[in-house]
Amino acid sequence: MSLTLTGSVREARDPLQRLAQALGDVRTTTLRYVLRARSQPDVIIGSVLMPVVFVVLFGYVFGSAIHLPGGHYRTYLMSGLFAQTTLFSSSSVAVAVATDMSEGVIDRFRTLPIARSAVLLGRTIATIIVGLPSLAVMITCALIVGWRPAAGVPNAMAGFALLSLFGFAMSWVGALVGMHARSPQAADGLSMLPAFVLGFVSNVFVPTAGLPAWLRVVAQWNPLSAVVAAARQMFGTPQGGSAHVWTLEHPVVTTLAMGLVLLAVLIPVTVRRYTRRD
Amino acid sequence: MPEEAIRAEGLVKSFKKTRALRGIDLTVRTGTVLALLGRNGAGKSTAVRILTTLTRPDAGSAIVAGFDVIRSAERVRARIGVTGQGPTVDELLTGRQNLVIIGRMFHLSPQQARLRAGQLLEQFGLADAAGRLARTYSGGMRRRLDLAASMIAAPPVMFLDEPTTGLDPVSRAQMWQAIREMVTQSGTSVLLTSQYLEEAEQLADDVTVINDGLVAASGTPRQLRESVGQANVRVVLRDADSSAAGRLGALLGPAARIDGRVVTLAAPDGLGSLADVVARLHPIAAEVDDVALQRPSLEEAFTILTSARPSEDGARPEHAMAGAR
Repeated sequence: MSLTLTGSVREARDPLQRLAQALGDVRTTTLRYVLRARSQPDVIIGSVLMPVVFVVLFGYVFGSAIHLPGGHYRTYLMSGLFAQTTLFSSSSVAVAVATDMSEGVIDRFRTLPIARSAVLLGRTIATIIVGLPSLAVMITCALIVGWRPAAGVPNAMAGFALLSLFGFAMSWVGALVGMHARSPQAADGLSMLPAFVLGFVSNVFVPTAGLPAWLRVVAQWNPLSAVVAAARQMFGTPQGGSAHVWTLEHPVVTTLAMGLVLLAVLIPVTVRRYTRRD
Repeated sequence: MPEEAIRAEGLVKSFKKTRALRGIDLTVRTGTVLALLGRNGAGKSTAVRILTTLTRPDAGSAIVAGFDVIRSAERVRARIGVTGQGPTVDELLTGRQNLVIIGRMFHLSPQQARLRAGQLLEQFGLADAAGRLARTYSGGMRRRLDLAASMIAAPPVMFLDEPTTGLDPVSRAQMWQAIREMVTQSGTSVLLTSQYLEEAEQLADDVTVINDGLVAASGTPRQLRESVGQANVRVVLRDADSSAAGRLGALLGPAARIDGRVVTLAAPDGLGSLADVVARLHPIAAEVDDVALQRPSLEEAFTILTSARPSEDGARPEHAMAGAR
C-alpha cells in the first residue's frame, strides 16, 4: 500500500475547527442521503406525482362542487396545498429514521467520528433537497390551474422559504417519532395520523367559517391553519373569510415562531436520544 | 503505539432482565488478532458494543487505541474500524460511493478518500463492480466492501463482528485472506468475534472464550486445546487380530489402551512421543496401517469450556487460568 494514513486522522481542537468539521460532516451525510434518493427514481416519481393527483382530485373532483365566496377556488386551494406538503416530510423522515434504527445503520454511524447531530441533520436537509423536484412540479401545476404569486415574486419566494422552515421543523418531528417508534410500520402509522388530522381539519381545503362550531374552533387553532394563512398572505391569495383568532390574524409571525421554537426544542432532544448510549 | 491495542478490565453490564457481562477482562496485543468466542448470548456482542463506544458499561474500564472508551469516545471512534453482521453497506450507493462517503466521515480530504477507495476496491477484488449499486453485490462482495469501508482511514484497531457468518466456503476463504493481508500489511490490531472455531484457528493469535458473561479461558489456540486434554498417539493396525494388538501392547507398555485395531497412548511430548512410538513399532511394522499424533481440537475445548456453568457468585470455572498471562 503506497499511502500511509495512520496518524492522518484529523482531529479538530479549537471550537472553530470543530464547527467547520461538523458542517463538513453534515454535508457528507446530506450527500449520502441525496445519492441514495437518486438511485431510487421510483420513489422520486411517486413523490412528484402525488401533488399532481392532489391538484386534480381536490381542484377538479371536489373543487367542482365547492364555491368560494369572493375568490377563485383552485387558487385558494393551491396555496393551501403548498402548506400541506410540509406535513408529509414529517412522515417520510419518521419512516426513514425508524428503518435506520431497526436495521442497525444508526449503530454503524455511531461508531464513526462524526458530529453527533450530523446524521439527523443530513437526513432532514436531504429531505428538503429531494423534495425540490416535486415542489417544482407542484408550482407548475399551480400555474397551469390559474394560481399566481399575486403578492409579487419576492413575497412568494419568502413564502416558500417560510414553508421550507416549517417543513424542516416538521421533519424533526418525524425524526423524533422515528427514534421512538418500535418499527418503520409503527412510525408510519404514528406520523400519518396526525398529519391527516392536521391536514384536513384546517383551512387547507375549505374556509373554516362553514364548519360546525366545535370543529371550527379546532380548525382555527390548528397550527397548520396558521401556516396555510401565512402562505396565502405571502402568495397574495384570498383567505376566504376572516377569523378573529390571533394566530390567523398574524399568520407569518406565528409560523415563523412555531418553526423556530420546534427546531430549538426538537433538535437537541432528538440528537440527545440519538447519542444516548445504553 | 502502546503495547496493547485493547485493554478491558472488569466490564460489567446488565440489561433489564439479564446480566450480559459479569466482569470480563480482555487484551488485544498491538498487531495481533484476538478471537472472542462464545455461544449465542454469552456476551460477545455486548463486549464489542462497549469497546466500540455504543454501550456504556455499568462498571469496569476499557482503553482502545490508547483512549478511554467512556471519557474519550470521540477519539476512540477516530481510531477504530467496525464491521459487523448488520447491513452496514448502503445498498443504494455504489461500491465506490460507499467507500468515499465513509472516508469523508473519517475526515479524509476528497482526494484522499477517492484515492483510498480506489486502492481498496482493487485490493478486495471489487474494482470491476465499483460503479454498481451495492444492492447488486453478492453476500461475499458486500462483506468485503464492508471490510474495505471500515479500513478506509487505516484505523489501528479493527472490530470484526462475525465477519463471515452466512458466507459460502469460497467467500469465507476470500474474506480470511483479506483479513490476513490487512493484519500483515498494515499491522492492524483486530478483535474478531466468531461462531466458527476454524475461523479462530485460521486467524487468531489469541483466543478468549466467554461464557455466561465471564471469561471461561484465554490463551493461544494451542494453549486452549491443551487445557482440555492432552495429545495422543493413535496406532491403527491392519486387522483386528488380537495377537498383533497384544504384541503392540507389550511394546508400548501398560499405559497403552487397546480397542480392537486401535491402540492409543498418551503423548505428553507431542511429536517427541510420536517419534518414540514409531521407533518402538519396528518389530511389527508390517502389521501397522497408520500412526498419527492426535491433538484435541479447539472445537472440543470450546464445547467443554462453554458447557461449564459458572456458579452464581461469579466464581470462574476450572479452566479459567489456562494460559493466563
